[in-house]
Parts: sequence; structure tokens; C-alpha cells
Amino acid sequence: MLTSSDANVGKVLITGVVGPLGRLLAERLSLTMDVCGVDTRRWKGSHPDIRLHRVDLRKRQFEDLLRTERPDAVVHMGFVRHFDRGDRVRHDVNVRGTKQLLDHCVKYGVRKVVVFSSSAVYGAFPENPYGMDEDCPISASRSYPEIRDQVEVDALASAFLWQHQEIETVVLRPVNALGPEMGSMMSSYLKLPGVPTVMGFDPVVQFIGQADLLDALEIAVAQPLSGVFNVVGAGQVPIHTAIQAIGARAWPIPGPLFNAVCRQLFALKLWHYPSGAVDYLRYPVCLSGSRFEEATGFRPKVSLSEMFDSIRHPAR
Amino acid sequence: MMADSPESVLAIAREVVGAMSPSWLQRLQGRIDERVARVPTRLNEYGFDDQGLAPDFVRQNMLPIALLYEYYFRVRTVNIERVPRGRVLLVANHAGQLPFDAMMLSSAMLLEGEPPRIARGMAEYWVSELPFVSVAAGRGGTLVGTPLNCASMLEAGECVMVFPEGVRGMNKLYEDRYKLMRFGSGFMRLALETNTPIVPVSIIGSEEQQPGLANLSGLARLFGMPALPLTPTFPLLGPLGLLPLPVKYHLYFGEPLSFEGDASEDDADIEERVDRVRAAIEEGFERGLAERSGIFS
Repeated sequence: MLTSSDANVGKVLITGVVGPLGRLLAERLSLTMDVCGVDTRRWKGSHPDIRLHRVDLRKRQFEDLLRTERPDAVVHMGFVRHFDRGDRVRHDVNVRGTKQLLDHCVKYGVRKVVVFSSSAVYGAFPENPYGMDEDCPISASRSYPEIRDQVEVDALASAFLWQHQEIETVVLRPVNALGPEMGSMMSSYLKLPGVPTVMGFDPVVQFIGQADLLDALEIAVAQPLSGVFNVVGAGQVPIHTAIQAIGARAWPIPGPLFNAVCRQLFALKLWHYPSGAVDYLRYPVCLSGSRFEEATGFRPKVSLSEMFDSIRHPAR
Repeated sequence: MMADSPESVLAIAREVVGAMSPSWLQRLQGRIDERVARVPTRLNEYGFDDQGLAPDFVRQNMLPIALLYEYYFRVRTVNIERVPRGRVLLVANHAGQLPFDAMMLSSAMLLEGEPPRIARGMAEYWVSELPFVSVAAGRGGTLVGTPLNCASMLEAGECVMVFPEGVRGMNKLYEDRYKLMRFGSGFMRLALETNTPIVPVSIIGSEEQQPGLANLSGLARLFGMPALPLTPTFPLLGPLGLLPLPVKYHLYFGEPLSFEGDASEDDADIEERVDRVRAAIEEGFERGLAERSGIFS
């Protein structure tokens, strides 16, 4: 944990604060900073030190809020990452929402912007090498068009980084977060009662512990830092090993059947994962986190076994 | 004994077969166990390295390949002690329609190298798209052949095998045996970049194991296959026709070559160094072909 003397940030605004990671980050940052949060969702039993504003990022009220709160830093994690509300809403909230937020940050003198992207933007492809760095193209839309908005957000933020060098911009691309509260795609996938996998494939998957991800976010907010960074945790194992380690059972399904079933169930809204997501169960997306570690001194502390224990299925 | 999961049933089956198998087979497995245990690796708490290599998988699945090595191809190595410890590139000729040459070279490094090494193969992209094959390749230490994968393996001090002829070599015709096809130059740039010594390896035997009469590349493209070789037995006898002839393999390891220079030099300067590696492999061909009395001995 950083002391407040390291921080040049007095007030921070977090979008999407009611999400599991947003809450934890708000609570963590509220120890050293003045924290306000934005979300359209309700926060049950909200924290006394954190002011929650229930506004939509795309609305006028959000700009008013930046004008009145005047935060030094903005952490942007207010994205729609599920597919339940359809492509259009998702794209509008994520892409237009981000664009407007970045414009407001320029207008109201925000000094630090942290955008929470994802390792998924690189895309899962058979030709992926291990240890991909931040200069690898972000090509997820090629095989997984459902998350093209997420790729666009990352590209928008990276372009903003160069256009507005007076603002410290940090784009974080963390690997799959694991922890009791984490709702990441991989985390909720592993928590399924039976875990479907692609028969004959067993890609190496990278994980980061909840506590390490919070550390990385805090570092990104508090330390003087600009750039695009992969954030990698303590390790990686093949997906079947992870499933076994959390005490779940894998259900291998032949690939073409998996894709077809996925497509049908997704179209019927009976299943949360589009067929493009299946490629992440076939091919590795393994990143190098050395740029972030060298720039900030960040070192992941939560070991693989600690991560797996934290989401262990109850013994059958 | 209680068997409550498929894994434990498999383990019991393995033990039963193990107990019933003849002693020479057990000795071979014992040798594999001993060699794999001495391979220098960096493994995490689950027994994998960062790229998914699992020595335990190699130990459990090596026996059929070791049988091919000892009894089918009766591999003989010459000067394998020339392979230095630490990072090294093994550069060899590629032939024979199916990559038994890569399999035998890596087996040689494991069964006869000192220390035993799990040589890392650099595979074509489409290998990762094949179910089961991709997993076996990955656990055995083979990676997709990208410059980044190769460079990070070398920087980690691994032994990497490359076949710069690529598929051009693999599907060469019988009349072109022991003629090196065009070499890619990527391996040389990587060797310069990572300051890695190159050991040229001349593989004798693979070039006759599956004589190519023609390569129907047009038809192959139509079926989306990398190549469609025509051999005396394939596709005439179906999949069985892919079985290689029981040729005798001889692996000649050359003196390690160290190159100095800059990886971004002009093609001509790189080519000149690539040609020295080719010449060293051709030297091995000459010696190997003169020393053997026939393709089966």
C-alpha cells in the first residue's frame, strides 16, 4: 500500500464504482484520497466516506458533476461488459461514453486518467506468441466481434494518451482477475457448476489475484505514470489445471459443437458468452507484464494456489 | 483399492500395464524417468513452465517415441557432446513428409544429451489449431514458430531446434534427397540478436523414409492442407501409407558456430552467414553418406 505522501492526487472520481472491483478500489483509495463514484446502479450499504452520484456517463449531468467535483484523477471502469442489453447499448455506453469522458477531462483540468481495459483486446489466436508486449496489435475484433467496442475504447484511450500529453493517461490491460468478489468473464466462467472446455485444447491462461489488481490500480492512480501497460499476476497454467485446482469438473465439448451451441444459446439469451469467446478456451493470450513492473516497481504477491483457493468450489 | 475418478482408474491401469510389461520396456521407461528428472527447467507450483511445458507429461508419454528411437529408426548420434550447455540453436535439414526427424533429434537431446535437454520445437501456426496435437505439442515444449517465442526461449537458456527449409524441405521429392532447399534467414537474425551459438545437425535417414514422388500442391490448397505428397504408399494405402520406412537414422552434430554482428544487417550479409551453416550441414551429409553402407544400416 502506498502512503499519501507518494500521491499527488487529492481527489479521485471512479466511474462504474458499484461494480465489485470499483467498490474495492473506492474503499482502498478512500484511505488516502477524497473519493467520489459514478454509476447508474444502486450501492447497497454504501461507504460513508465515498460520495456516490447516480448518473449516466452519456448524460449532461455527468459533465456537471465533473465541473462541480473537479477531481484530480479519473479512474474509468464504467463499462458494460455483459451482453444482456444488446450490442447497441453496450457500444454506446462504452465507446461514446469513453469519448465524452475523455473530452470532459480535458475541459475540466483532470490531471490523471486511468482507463481499465483488458488483456482480451489482443484476441485469442493460434499464432499468439507467449509474452506479448503492449506493442502487439489489439485484434480481438477479428474473431470476436462482440467485444469490438472494448477494442475501440482501448484504441481511443491510447490515442488520447498521445494527443493530450499534458494529462497523465494510463491504459491498463490486466489479465484474468481471480478472487471471491471478482466478476470478470474468466472468474465467473470458472465459478460455473460444470465448466465447459473445448475438447483437445488446453491453453495456458494467465491470472492475477484480486489484491494484486487493486495494488496495480492504486499505483496507476497515485504514482506519476503515463502509458499503456499489461498487468500480469503471479502466474499461468493450462485451463484444465486451473479448473482442477479450484475443485471444479471440466466438461470437454468438441469445438465445432461448442461454437454452434454457444451461438444458439447466446442468440436466445440463455447463455452469457458469445461464440467468439470460445477461442479464449482454445488459444493462449499470454502477456509480458515487465513494462509495468519496471516503470512502477509493482510485483504480484498473490500466488496461483492462493487465487485458486479463493474461488474454490465447495467439496462435492 | 477405491477408484473414484477417471484419473485414478487411469493411474491403476498404468500401474497394471507397467507391472506386466517386459523388463526391457521397464528399463527404457526407467531411463526416460531418470533423464527427464535431470532436465534443467523453471517450473511453477503446478509443474508447468510459463509456456506450458510439462516435464511430467513428457515422462509419461515418451515411451512410444523412445521405442521408435531405439528399435525402429535405431538412431545413432555422432558428436552430440558438441552441443553446449545453455542457449543453443540446433539447425538441421528437414525431410520425410512427417516430422519424425524433429522427433528423433529432440529424443536424442533427451536420451543422450548431457545434461539431458527438452529441445524446443518451433511449429507452423496451424499446429495450434489441431485438437489434441496442439496440447501434446505444447506440453512437450513445442511453441508456435514466431520470432518472439524463439527469442524468449533462447534468452531463457533453452535449446531450440529449427529447420530453416520448413515445409519446402519436409515435402521435397526423392530425387532432391540430401539437397538443401532454400533456407529462411530468420534463425540467423535471432542468433545474432540473442548471441546464441548454432550447432549444425545433419540428419541422415529421414530423407529416404517416405520417398516423395510428387507434391500435389494445387490439390492441397483446394483441401486447405499444407501439402499433399504422393509417395509409393500414400495415398494408395490410406493413413497406413504414411508409415515411414524403417531407415536407420544417423545424427551428425557439427562444431558450434558463433556469429557476430547486428541482426538488422542487409540480407546479403545475413545470407553469407546462413550459407556457412548450410555448408556445415552439407559437410555432415558427405561424411554420413560415405560412412553408411545402405539406407537401412
